[in-house]
Amino acid sequence: MAELAQPPRRFREIARVKLADAHIQTALDDSTDRLRTHRLHAWSDLPEVQELRQRAHEIRMSVIDDLDGHVERFTAALSARGGNVYFARTAEEASEYVANVCRRRGAKLAAKSKSMVSEEIGLNQALEAVGTQAIETDLGEYILQLAGEHPVHIVAPAIEKTAEDVAELLSAVRGKRIPPHLEELTNAARTQLRETFLNADVGITGVNFAVSETGSICLCTNEGNGRLVSSIPPVHVAIMGMERLVPTTADLAVLLKLLARSGTGQKLTVYTTLLTGPRRAGETDGPEELHVVILDNGRTNLLRGRYREMLACIRCGACLNVCPVYRKTGGAAYSDVYSGPMGAVLLPLLVGLQHAPSLPHASSLCGACTEACPVKIPLHELLLDLRRDLVAEGVASWAERVSFWLWSWAWSRPFGYRASTALARLGQPLAGLVGPGRAWARVRALPRLGRRYRDRR
Amino acid sequence: MRDDAEHKADSAAAEVGARQCRDAAGVTLVEEFVANAEAVGCHVYRGTGPDIEGAGVSTALYGLADTGSVVLAAAPDEPRSRSLLPDVHVTMLAEDRILPGLDELFATLGADLPSALAIVTGPSRSADIEQKLAVGVHGPREVHVVLLPSA
Repeated sequence: MAELAQPPRRFREIARVKLADAHIQTALDDSTDRLRTHRLHAWSDLPEVQELRQRAHEIRMSVIDDLDGHVERFTAALSARGGNVYFARTAEEASEYVANVCRRRGAKLAAKSKSMVSEEIGLNQALEAVGTQAIETDLGEYILQLAGEHPVHIVAPAIEKTAEDVAELLSAVRGKRIPPHLEELTNAARTQLRETFLNADVGITGVNFAVSETGSICLCTNEGNGRLVSSIPPVHVAIMGMERLVPTTADLAVLLKLLARSGTGQKLTVYTTLLTGPRRAGETDGPEELHVVILDNGRTNLLRGRYREMLACIRCGACLNVCPVYRKTGGAAYSDVYSGPMGAVLLPLLVGLQHAPSLPHASSLCGACTEACPVKIPLHELLLDLRRDLVAEGVASWAERVSFWLWSWAWSRPFGYRASTALARLGQPLAGLVGPGRAWARVRALPRLGRRYRDRR
Repeated sequence: MRDDAEHKADSAAAEVGARQCRDAAGVTLVEEFVANAEAVGCHVYRGTGPDIEGAGVSTALYGLADTGSVVLAAAPDEPRSRSLLPDVHVTMLAEDRILPGLDELFATLGADLPSALAIVTGPSRSADIEQKLAVGVHGPREVHVVLLPSA
């Protein structure tokens, strides 16, 4: 199962490996740079982008203010259209429900389109236990599934893989050598996965947005797998975090205008699908059964605190592409599911600070994430708040607490301040030889301290 | 002083949508649709379309000028798979069904939505391998839009 809670040293250990890998560093630089540039172009081509961001923030917060009401209205509207809605309080309840649907249908094969929430609840393993094989159909997720790895970026899950890596993985599926050329790789994946779409007993998707007024769910994909998975198999199961709701289709339009522009720089994803219930009388295709699983899994705990704004996140990935930490470490250091600034805020909130103590520190607090966020979540402020909580809850280390206490004691007194700078000047020749100063001085000059503040060089 | 005819023309334009009014260059919705649909990789024709063997042919409910999208609604005579499984998708779009954008689409549709509404913006694509654009991953590799002039 994709483990959200993590050992304290996970971030440091994985980050060290990724930093030492020249290929991954180039891949991260190139892809985050490209996605960031595309977003900036798309935003600048939209004159009303700032008003839209504000409007989007208000829409998302209005839903969070009345989340129970929205869940109720959505459930009533979709039920009236013949869909089944299940509210799961925990990851286990959600997996169990989906597994039961598969068991009841005797499903051997489930075709999955990209869903972060299904990663969050470890769905594939639960399905395996009831004899249903789940195959990922998003190209990036398929590659990762073949490699036995987890996504490292919300919108570009396999950015760390080269064409050679992909060729090797796809060749192994049918035991036929596929050359590492983009077109041939794409064709091979198309052929391999087409069978999955046509033979699947159940289709499983995530949900980008759900409209409470109409009971519709909205899927955004570029490859078409989301549309195939929700159209061809006889059963469609969609899994959504309970905060995906928006009040009306007019509100949906606002968010759709921002989602693709912020994620990939497109005006809209190639396929924006709005599904309202299963197949209707007279229709010749589409699922006979539609199940929507609404997942809480710790989200209601956020409703009443200062972290509630995190529930506004639309999972576009824009904050990852601008984060100086993510751009070096990649996504694996954070968790198997969420990463970057949004992951660094969300994960400790979902699993508890003591299970993700290093994540609030995985930030330079530069605020680039906040600036990039289309729904205006103050991500870097939330990270700072989480660091305060680390201290308040006693999760922060003893050494950290003592040193900050000493520092604040000294620097709130003129005498202490002067003494500290005098000591720093004395210690200056040693600074480049030990500890973090040494690492810094290896590639750059250390700043020189003058006698007075304004004499610094 | 503005004369009556000019005033009438103004309010007619306002009814068509804010988008069209703002367009100082006098670009119509059809022209905007064509430019944007071609920009996302669609082939656009006026009047008659190509005859491609094995193509799935659909009739679009609406077009969106702003994004170059075609809007497909599932119905007994409009199955989902026709625009999804074949390599080539040909869709017929009446020119007077082109709306400015998403806002107008949802305002026009109201709360009574079809079982499946697909807003299709270009051919299937992916950038999952080394961030390089590949066309035709799972959905159609080619999308042809045939514009039918208003009667």
